[in-house]
Amino acid sequence: MALLQIAEPGGKSAKAPRKRAVGIDLGTTNSLVAAPCGESVETLPDEQDRHLLPSAVRYLAESEGGGVQVGHSALEYSSIDPLNTIVSVKRFLGKKLAEIKAANPFLPYRFITDSENEQPVISTEAGTRTPMQVSADILRVLAGRAEKFLNGPLDGAVITVPAYFNDAQRQQTRDAALLAGLNVLRLLNEPTAAAVAYGLDSRDEGNVVVFDLGGGTFDVSILSMQKGVFQVLATGGDTNLGGDDFDHTLAHWILEQAATNDELDPAQQSELLTVARAAKHGISDNESVELQFGDWNGTLNAETFAELTSELTDRTINACRRVLRDARLKVPDIDNVVLVGGATRMPVIRQRVADFFQRQPLADIDPDKVVAIGAGIQADVLVGNKSGDAFLLLDVNPLSLGIETVGELVEKIIPRNTTIPVAKAQEFTTFKDGQTAMLIHVVQGERELVSDCRSLARFELRGIPSMAAGAAKIRVTFQVDADGLLGVSATETGTGTTAEIQVKPSYGLSSSEIETMLKASQEHASEDMQARALHEARIEAEQILDALAGALRADGDLLAKEEVEHIAVATGNLESALQGQDSGEIHELTEKLNSVTAEFAARRMDKEISRALRGESISSVADS
Amino acid sequence: MFKDRNFFDVFSIPAAFQVDLTILADQYRELQAQVHPDRVAGGSEQEKLQAIQATSFLNEAYETLQSPQRRAAYLLELQGIDVNQVDQSDLSPVLLMEQIELREQLEELPRDEAALDKLEQLRESIEQRQADCQGQFAQVIEQGSLTDAKKQYYEMQYFAKLAAEIESLEEDLLGY
Repeated sequence: MALLQIAEPGGKSAKAPRKRAVGIDLGTTNSLVAAPCGESVETLPDEQDRHLLPSAVRYLAESEGGGVQVGHSALEYSSIDPLNTIVSVKRFLGKKLAEIKAANPFLPYRFITDSENEQPVISTEAGTRTPMQVSADILRVLAGRAEKFLNGPLDGAVITVPAYFNDAQRQQTRDAALLAGLNVLRLLNEPTAAAVAYGLDSRDEGNVVVFDLGGGTFDVSILSMQKGVFQVLATGGDTNLGGDDFDHTLAHWILEQAATNDELDPAQQSELLTVARAAKHGISDNESVELQFGDWNGTLNAETFAELTSELTDRTINACRRVLRDARLKVPDIDNVVLVGGATRMPVIRQRVADFFQRQPLADIDPDKVVAIGAGIQADVLVGNKSGDAFLLLDVNPLSLGIETVGELVEKIIPRNTTIPVAKAQEFTTFKDGQTAMLIHVVQGERELVSDCRSLARFELRGIPSMAAGAAKIRVTFQVDADGLLGVSATETGTGTTAEIQVKPSYGLSSSEIETMLKASQEHASEDMQARALHEARIEAEQILDALAGALRADGDLLAKEEVEHIAVATGNLESALQGQDSGEIHELTEKLNSVTAEFAARRMDKEISRALRGESISSVADS
Repeated sequence: MFKDRNFFDVFSIPAAFQVDLTILADQYRELQAQVHPDRVAGGSEQEKLQAIQATSFLNEAYETLQSPQRRAAYLLELQGIDVNQVDQSDLSPVLLMEQIELREQLEELPRDEAALDKLEQLRESIEQRQADCQGQFAQVIEQGSLTDAKKQYYEMQYFAKLAAEIESLEEDLLGY
């Protein structure tokens, strides 16, 4: 098969110089860059031997010399110069300003709304900046660090994103990298990157769980590793759960113990959290720690900490159960568990994970660095340095993609956890006679109603030939590429009218919204079924009311006055039921109206038949 | 590059209902390793587009052949039968009665964790029926009796749907 002999890009000559490729973990709190160092891939330090670059960017006024500070130097100014020092910009990527404000009520930044698409723009001393530009400034510093280390310009980079990042968030991450002048080889999901970092060490075959508990989010993925192919079987998690929640739980406990009833001022609140965080770190290495907050002194032991946080650890385990189920695996099928994220340093987490999976989790690679290292390994392969022992990553889409159909229902086209790249086509039809245009509304989420899912894009397919309802066939094709980015096209198959778009959503879906939506879809599965039943009943009723109104206009004369009144009563009852929420009642009254109008329909039929028969007899006469 | 190719041919396996899933998975990985977009990450836009299309095709083909239900539909499709065109005579009254009974059992279950054991039993008996159906489908399609194969397909379809409902009910009960 000649078609299958695709050459390795740039890897033909044995003497080809090694290309410069890096992996970048663009994190919420810290970012890292990793590159091949001899045989292994390692994260690169700055001149003061610090590997982690705080994801903080400060824009300076002309009077201070202008320019940009990134990392530790910027972070120092976050409370001194809060308006111009942007931290945790990753949370703003792919979001609308309104969403950002709703999720972060205490942001100090001066936001300007870009009227075009409501994207956030931050006003700083150095001018306006978008989250994408701020991210690009962080990426530039990391790229510079790597270029110095590798002695030359970079050939390509792999950038990691949370598995749960949606289309808009991925799009903006990639655009930020392009803005920083990087050649993006691939956007790689963080848990997949972690699995690569471990997988290549051990060369194991089997199923691996990646348990990633960061400061604010929790991801869990299951991968199967076979003959150099890493296939993601399922991914899930809880984007409102992280190390910060453990701090908050501890802070509440401290307040209870201290029995202070006074309102805390902002400084005290900040002190309380600092004490809590220090205690959390302390308890990781000690059986008990001494605490002091205000006038209160106390002791926290490991047992109490485990009890206090058991609800949080339970949630991580519950997410593990669900993802196992999605992957159709059971605990004994799991061969390895990998820990990622600083919060997995807590012994309570390690213990629960070990108990649940009945094995000690692996944590030999620094949980802060493992994602960047995995990305670096993948970059080395993609750029063509490793043609011999190349491995392959097969990832999945984390959320179902679908389109809106009649009655605001979602027709799922690509279910979650489908291996990407993927193309799926589905046929839809017109709802009304003579309909010549159709709005295609693309949504992302697990629920059955459009309003409960995330809207990604809308586009219009025009020029559908005018036909009876249901006669036109619209074929909608969804294509998700290897970066997880979506493209949609639509064709009317009868005439070949095509409308094609690359979906560029005007706004993204926050990770926590994805989480909320996923959870809601589980909690509301039965509610969804009721909602669906209601919608279907309404559509049925409206169609009958429409048809009846037309028939009455055309052939009302076939009815006696008394019959007209009967029909009017039945119509009125159904119309008022339509104002309510009871699908059973709507259905019943629709049936009632059907039976009341059955005689009318029969008479119309007779009239049509005799009309047709007359027509036929005339034409037969003419023919003969 | 695979456009319009028969899924079975693509993976070099016989076009039959019985499929060795291990061989299928090995072939899938082998082919993916060759055509995946990662292999042309530094290539031209044209090469990348081709790789995306080839991989999408492979994923679709693999998914279809992996699932007994979709595999059966595909085998019928290869014989020119569209399973979406349901003929009333394809559905036997006995099957419908059995389905109604099973569904009633499902609906009568208490909506709490006590139902889990019962669900497990129900699932086992349905899995058994699914396996029987699949065995029969394999036989009749092998013999070339397409009308019977189509009937058998709908029977499989009923049980597959029931199995999916049991699963989602279980997830509800477990609070996922």
